[in-house]
Amino acid sequence: MLALTRRVGERIVIGDNVVVTIVDIKGDSIRLAIDAPREIKIYRGEIFDAIAAENKEAAVQQLPAALDGLKGLHKK
Amino acid sequence: MKIQSTRFGEMEISIENILKLDQGIPGFPDESEFAFLPYEENSPFAFLQSTHNANLTFLLVEPFSFLPEYTFELSEEWSKEIGVSTENPPQIFNIVSIREPLQQSTVNLLAPVVVNWRDRKAKQIILEKVEYTTKHLLFPNGLPEKAAQGGK
Repeated sequence: MLALTRRVGERIVIGDNVVVTIVDIKGDSIRLAIDAPREIKIYRGEIFDAIAAENKEAAVQQLPAALDGLKGLHKK
Repeated sequence: MKIQSTRFGEMEISIENILKLDQGIPGFPDESEFAFLPYEENSPFAFLQSTHNANLTFLLVEPFSFLPEYTFELSEEWSKEIGVSTENPPQIFNIVSIREPLQQSTVNLLAPVVVNWRDRKAKQIILEKVEYTTKHLLFPNGLPEKAAQGGK
């Protein structure tokens, strides 16, 4: 992992087409501007983590007996 | 192809029911191939069974049967990446976290699974600028009335 120190107004260039600019720092909040092609998906880390955590919860080895309750439920 | 499942045992799956998920899904980045197994005929539910990991099964639901207000816009970027369009419309599923009792089961509306059946590709996408969360009750009004089941 690469760790860099940057000041407000400075930038980090990632690959050929991603530029991260440090816009503002207030207390422990840092405002970033990210310039990237539209096909590059950018998420707040906690949102991605929440989806990963939910997927891990949903993935079950032995689906419980309650699942039988879904029998006979039809599409509308 | 033959696949192993802890829940279903060994199964022979037709290639039409094998979906590729490039880059896996969040939390399971290496799981890039799943078998699609309908729960039963005419059911909005289906299983996604990993073809590599017998222990990994997800329960999917077609959301519009239970949550008619559920709506989102599939961005142009996602449509392009998944290969869906008005000519090749996607099928949408959401992953269910099944609970005991069943009424407490939740569904992840924030990250739907978009399926391109023509190319047998799928992707779990994360919606932006929506109010949905990863944990909505699947049956907010209690369990729905079941269709008549012969002999019961």
